[in-house]
Amino acid sequence: MIITFRRQWEVLPRSLQIILGRLALVVPQMFGVLLVTFFLIRLLPGDPAVLLLGNMATPEAVEQLRDRLGLNDSIWTQFLVYCGNVLHGDLGVSIFTSNPVTVDLMERGPATIELIFYGMILTVVIGVAVAVISVRKPGGTVDIVSRFYGLAAGAIPDFWIGLILIYVFFTLLGWAAAPFGRIDVFLNAPPPVTGFYTIDALLAGDFDAFRSAAGRLVLPVITLAIVNAGGLMKMTQSVFSGVWESDFVRHARACGVPERVIMRAALRNSLPPIITMIGFLVGFLLGAAVLVETIFSWGGLGQYAVQAVMNSDYPALQGFILVAAAFTLLVYLVVDILYELVDPRIKV
Amino acid sequence: MRAPEEAMKPVLAVERLSVSFGTPHGETKVLRDVEFTLAPNEILGIVGETGAGKSVLARAIIDLLPKGGRMTSGEVRVNGKPVGKMTEAERRAMRGGQIALIGTNAKALLDPVETVGNQIVRVLQSHSRLNRKAAWTKAVQLLADVGIVNPEQRARAYPHELSGGMAQRVVIAMALVTEPKILLADDATLGLDATVSVQVLDMLVQRSRELGLSVVLITHDLGIIAHYCNRVAVMREGRVVELREVSEFLKQPEAVYSRELLAAAKVRPIPTLRSIGGSEMALLEVSNLVKIFPGNRPGQVVRAVDHVSFTIKRGETLALVGESGSGKTTVGQCLVRLIEASSGSIRFDGNDLLTTAQARFRPLRRRIQMVFQEPYVALNPRWRVRHLVDEPLRMLEKMSADERLKRVHQVLDLVNMPAHYAERFPHELTAGEQKRVGMARALVTEPDFVIFDEPTTALDIRVRGQIIDLVRDLQTRMKLSALFITHDLNSVRSLAHDVAVMNRGRIVEAGSMETVFSDPKDPYTAKLLSAELAIEHETEARVARRPKSAEERVG
Repeated sequence: MIITFRRQWEVLPRSLQIILGRLALVVPQMFGVLLVTFFLIRLLPGDPAVLLLGNMATPEAVEQLRDRLGLNDSIWTQFLVYCGNVLHGDLGVSIFTSNPVTVDLMERGPATIELIFYGMILTVVIGVAVAVISVRKPGGTVDIVSRFYGLAAGAIPDFWIGLILIYVFFTLLGWAAAPFGRIDVFLNAPPPVTGFYTIDALLAGDFDAFRSAAGRLVLPVITLAIVNAGGLMKMTQSVFSGVWESDFVRHARACGVPERVIMRAALRNSLPPIITMIGFLVGFLLGAAVLVETIFSWGGLGQYAVQAVMNSDYPALQGFILVAAAFTLLVYLVVDILYELVDPRIKV
Repeated sequence: MRAPEEAMKPVLAVERLSVSFGTPHGETKVLRDVEFTLAPNEILGIVGETGAGKSVLARAIIDLLPKGGRMTSGEVRVNGKPVGKMTEAERRAMRGGQIALIGTNAKALLDPVETVGNQIVRVLQSHSRLNRKAAWTKAVQLLADVGIVNPEQRARAYPHELSGGMAQRVVIAMALVTEPKILLADDATLGLDATVSVQVLDMLVQRSRELGLSVVLITHDLGIIAHYCNRVAVMREGRVVELREVSEFLKQPEAVYSRELLAAAKVRPIPTLRSIGGSEMALLEVSNLVKIFPGNRPGQVVRAVDHVSFTIKRGETLALVGESGSGKTTVGQCLVRLIEASSGSIRFDGNDLLTTAQARFRPLRRRIQMVFQEPYVALNPRWRVRHLVDEPLRMLEKMSADERLKRVHQVLDLVNMPAHYAERFPHELTAGEQKRVGMARALVTEPDFVIFDEPTTALDIRVRGQIIDLVRDLQTRMKLSALFITHDLNSVRSLAHDVAVMNRGRIVEAGSMETVFSDPKDPYTAKLLSAELAIEHETEARVARRPKSAEERVG
């Protein structure tokens, strides 16, 4: 049986093997995430029932609530109930906002993801373009600028850049949109489809909303890109320059292959570490963009998580951890799949 | 009908070409007034040792000098057109379009993340407006032409899935696909097994003959010159010291340097006569040696050495020959217990080496020494030669520092190195000198038995000759017994009394060197011998040397 399975497996195309193999791993990984989130919260000191009811609650009321929340059941029963709830999309009710955590996260998750999404696109464009040009024309303007930039980008904090951008482009010049949230307060948010205001607005044909949402994105996206593109550029530079000096590039040139084509091939060879770094950045920014979110009143996930911590809002925190972990898992899944797809030398 | 003069007009002319490299210490001249022409359908061999400027010459011809290189004078003309006067676009079209370069180490020349078929298509589409499908068909056709079995499927393979020989064929297909007029083969078969190298060269030269190409065959191997080329240019320190017909060159080389090269490449007479009588006991007796490595998949095994048996008598040399992957180096490493054999027995002068405990084996080590294949890798780069050579003494004997230094000087003298080399670091030595240090280190304990792992591989012609002479000298002077692991059959002829031929972990044939080499019984031995490009046998050149004369072609 196993042998026939293996044989069938081996005739599958490599790309399918990679994707199926990785997807199969997601289930146990996700289970692990659930387990960790659940017990992490249980490890925190304090009785949730007391927290919910406040210090003035009578012991009877606390006992009643404990019973209702199932806290008196065995830990494994609680875990099963928790898993069941999660599968039904029930993450509990936030103590602070009084909304179901799922609703809060559905509102705030897309805000952060939209920000990160455009931020990463700009980061990649800047980082890779500067790196490639500086390698191809060593000693040129771009190369020299890139050296200063690489040095500075690691040292300048994101909130500082955000504030400077706001000061210059909003306060002084008045070019940029106000840093007060994702969309003009006088406009209605487009009906949610993807959760991305820009895309939803286009889908709804609401161009005013689109213009406003896009305008609001400009400064925070630039802030994120400026901070993160430096590292990506440095790394791309070192990888790409290694590839650029390699024998196969020289041989392609000796074969009369145009520079444009050679550059594309060299870039493809440099992809794996770039993909890894982008994946890492995306996962990292989910929580780490909090300062940028705060400055631009973005109302994103990072802010939500910080609020939850400040207010001992355990259900909200638990929900955030779960979503962040699931999202990171997803990003790494995509990274792993892409990584193996772009490098045929990796054995599946 | 073309006039004969038209037909014989050179396709490539190099005139008084000089190239310099800028270094922090000023300009270094790498090529000095190099001059030659290449006639249509001619194969010109360029031979020289490391640093002669052969590769720079190839790159100068296609105007792609390495960083820092500068053409200081002279001109290269391709089909009558000076390369220097071409526009950038014309130059790009010329590279690969009219002159195709085939380099060393094909696997590194191929894009690792693209299928080889697509890479050939890439080159073809850079030079013609063929659509993808037509280009792919042509690429597959060419792969078949260069002797790749199952080309349709192989075209979809990535470079890492190919063997070295196959990758070399792909690179050749890549060069031929644009139907260029000139091929520049820069040490194209370096590092390939002899049988593969000969197959690839046979194919390359045959295809060039069929297509009427002119070839510049750059090599450091006179055997290749003797068997494949019409004319030869001998290069030394950036100059062409001799340029003439190959047959004349082999008979009567003009330049002193050429004579030295030829003499170094020739086989020496059989080494010191073996001790007559043969009553002496065997010094080393290996029987049924087996070494099994775990395979890639669980449960899978690789039999690197499979029931190998041989004996070596005192003062005699056995050559273990075979191609890469045949397990010959593994045998050597088992003998000195760098890796533990799986089963079998090794008796050395009455002691069973495999069952001896490590502690009791250590004193025996001074009597069995090994000279490693990669000289530079085997020497600690932070130690001076003196330190490197006396290491076994510090480990094994109680000697004062003065005694040790004296011993180091003695043994350096033995390998023909001046005493002041003792203070140098490995990176300050040439490849040949590094090999000598490796030998000195092995000889310093006055061993009875030495294992030489590929001592002549990757060396220049004259250095190789010197190493062979040195080993011969040691054999006579020290009455050294040795195991000589190599794939260089030519050196075996000069060094070994006996030969054992290994293939896939087994010894397929063994006997005295004369018998095995003159009358091989096993087909594998015959195959190995037929791939030997000895300069003594140049009369039987592998591919008809003379191109058809102009009249014949026209008529």
